[in-house]
Amino acid sequence: MAEPILKVKKLTKKYGDKTVVKGISFEVKKGEIFGILGPNGAGKTTTLEMIETVREIDGGSATVDGIDVAKHPQKVKYIIGVQPQSPAFMDKVKLTEQLEQMASTYGSRVNTKELLKDVGLEDKASSYVEQLSGGQKQRFSIVASLVHQPKIFFMDEPTTGLDPQARRNLWELVEHVRDQGTTVILTTHYMEEAEMLCDRVAIMDDGNIVAIDTPKNLVKKLLAKGFTKKQHVEQANLEDVFIDLTGKELKD
Amino acid sequence: MKKKFLPVFVFAKIAIRRAFRDKTALFFIVLFPLIFLFVFGGIFAHDNGTSFKVALINQSDSQFAKQFVDQAKANKLLKIDAKSTTLDQAKEKMSRGQMDAAIILPSDFGTVKNGQYPSGNAKVYYTNNSQQAGQALTSILQSEFQSINKQFVKVETPFTASSEQLTTKGLTQFDYVFAGLLGFSIVGLGIFGPVNVFPELKKQGVLRRLHTTPIRVWQYFLANVGSQSIVGLFSIAVQFVVAITVFHLHVAGNYAELTVFIILSITTILGIGLAVGGWAKNEQQAAPLANLIVFPMLFLSGTFFPRFLMPEWLQKVSAFLPLTPVIDGIRLITTEGKHLWQIGPQVGLLAIWLVIIYAIAFQVFRWE
Repeated sequence: MAEPILKVKKLTKKYGDKTVVKGISFEVKKGEIFGILGPNGAGKTTTLEMIETVREIDGGSATVDGIDVAKHPQKVKYIIGVQPQSPAFMDKVKLTEQLEQMASTYGSRVNTKELLKDVGLEDKASSYVEQLSGGQKQRFSIVASLVHQPKIFFMDEPTTGLDPQARRNLWELVEHVRDQGTTVILTTHYMEEAEMLCDRVAIMDDGNIVAIDTPKNLVKKLLAKGFTKKQHVEQANLEDVFIDLTGKELKD
Repeated sequence: MKKKFLPVFVFAKIAIRRAFRDKTALFFIVLFPLIFLFVFGGIFAHDNGTSFKVALINQSDSQFAKQFVDQAKANKLLKIDAKSTTLDQAKEKMSRGQMDAAIILPSDFGTVKNGQYPSGNAKVYYTNNSQQAGQALTSILQSEFQSINKQFVKVETPFTASSEQLTTKGLTQFDYVFAGLLGFSIVGLGIFGPVNVFPELKKQGVLRRLHTTPIRVWQYFLANVGSQSIVGLFSIAVQFVVAITVFHLHVAGNYAELTVFIILSITTILGIGLAVGGWAKNEQQAAPLANLIVFPMLFLSGTFFPRFLMPEWLQKVSAFLPLTPVIDGIRLITTEGKHLWQIGPQVGLLAIWLVIIYAIAFQVFRWE
């Protein structure tokens, strides 16, 4: 087993007298795609934000690659990449300029054209972010968060609002990022996304982690408890029909 | 060390490019100040010295009265309103402050009564709004008549007074107002710029994204100072070109020193914008606070009218506002040709404000 790149111990966040993250602990191994699932308001985003150094930690600790987040936030910033929920780019700034800006914050210069080529946006080098489609924006957002080749990459609901083609394309991209040696931690609402993409998932509810395991084991445990679902076996579902009719290729 | 300034240069460079791509931003950088320049330039450019707006109502048909009217029309001190032909019309305009006085030449004005020479009494009417103008006008007419009288009657005048205008540098009112207009555009750029942009960037999460990167607040602020200084200098250069070519602005000072002083001014005033925009969570917080700071400062610092018109105590207080040394310093360099070391009080006061304002701005800055 690979050593953990992220260790979270009894992490706590309070807003006034409301505790939104209630002392959660978990570890993420190097090279994993780790999913955090849960309904809205479960504390997923707050948890990520504390590890990402942008939200103060009220209790417990988070350690990224051996560095304590609360003690050395500036050091942690150099080894993490963050993709926010919304693309969050200034308008009227070319894609190449956006990448140049992101890289400069780490004190480095990058080959912006090469980076754009990796995500199939080389034709859009001189476009502005506001001229891109939803899927293109997400792909660009990912490449912008990875200009400094971080050790851990955080993605907050990366596929929300995307069409099935764009979503599948993004999954491939996430796997590609992982294959390059970056650990990926993402939040999602889509169970099927977690099942297909994540090596392990943590399920959060009301500020607590209620389960943590591989998707397969979680299903096994549920079945072991004697759970049965109305059996209704079909060889395909509506999404398969949609993909079959409209093709797998990206539309934008 | 070089790495620390890389984001400063990159962010500043891209912000400048962005300003010139954005049509709305360009409007506020270039056209908006020019509109003010043309409005104030139109008011003050040709108004060199004093003049009186008067109605000249001639009720006499005499040759002398006609000649008098023609002469009065040629007189630069008098601006004769041709539309007012009766005393009532003139009174109405005087009551609204649009006119200083009415001169009435009665029907017997300039007629020859004693068979020797024409005589008459011109009457000057004025209201208590324009006492000074009315009295000045009366004495002007008096002396005018005295020289006419000499042609008819020989009188020895033992004592006389004469006046002569000293034109040393030939400062027009426009030269004076121009510094105020530059102060106004520095406020627009330095305060309303970040106040409008920052809450928007926070809403879009742009600043939050930056917060996850190692960029420091000082690097981000310094990038803003750099880009706003370049954009501001461009805007001010355009205003100078228009002021010199269209309104015959007299520039006595040195452009290099003026540039240095303007960069210092933009940096200081921008700090107010960075503090307000950086503190505010959204536009609802940013706009009222910015207005609360900007409008009193604009009026008290002599942007639109000179501070020497204010009551003494107000002049003393307003001298310490951050915008006052900006406007005074620009005026002293531009029109009076002062050097930076000669405007120590202005430079010093700005430097003090710079420290205070940025100390606050760093304290209150929020990334989201």
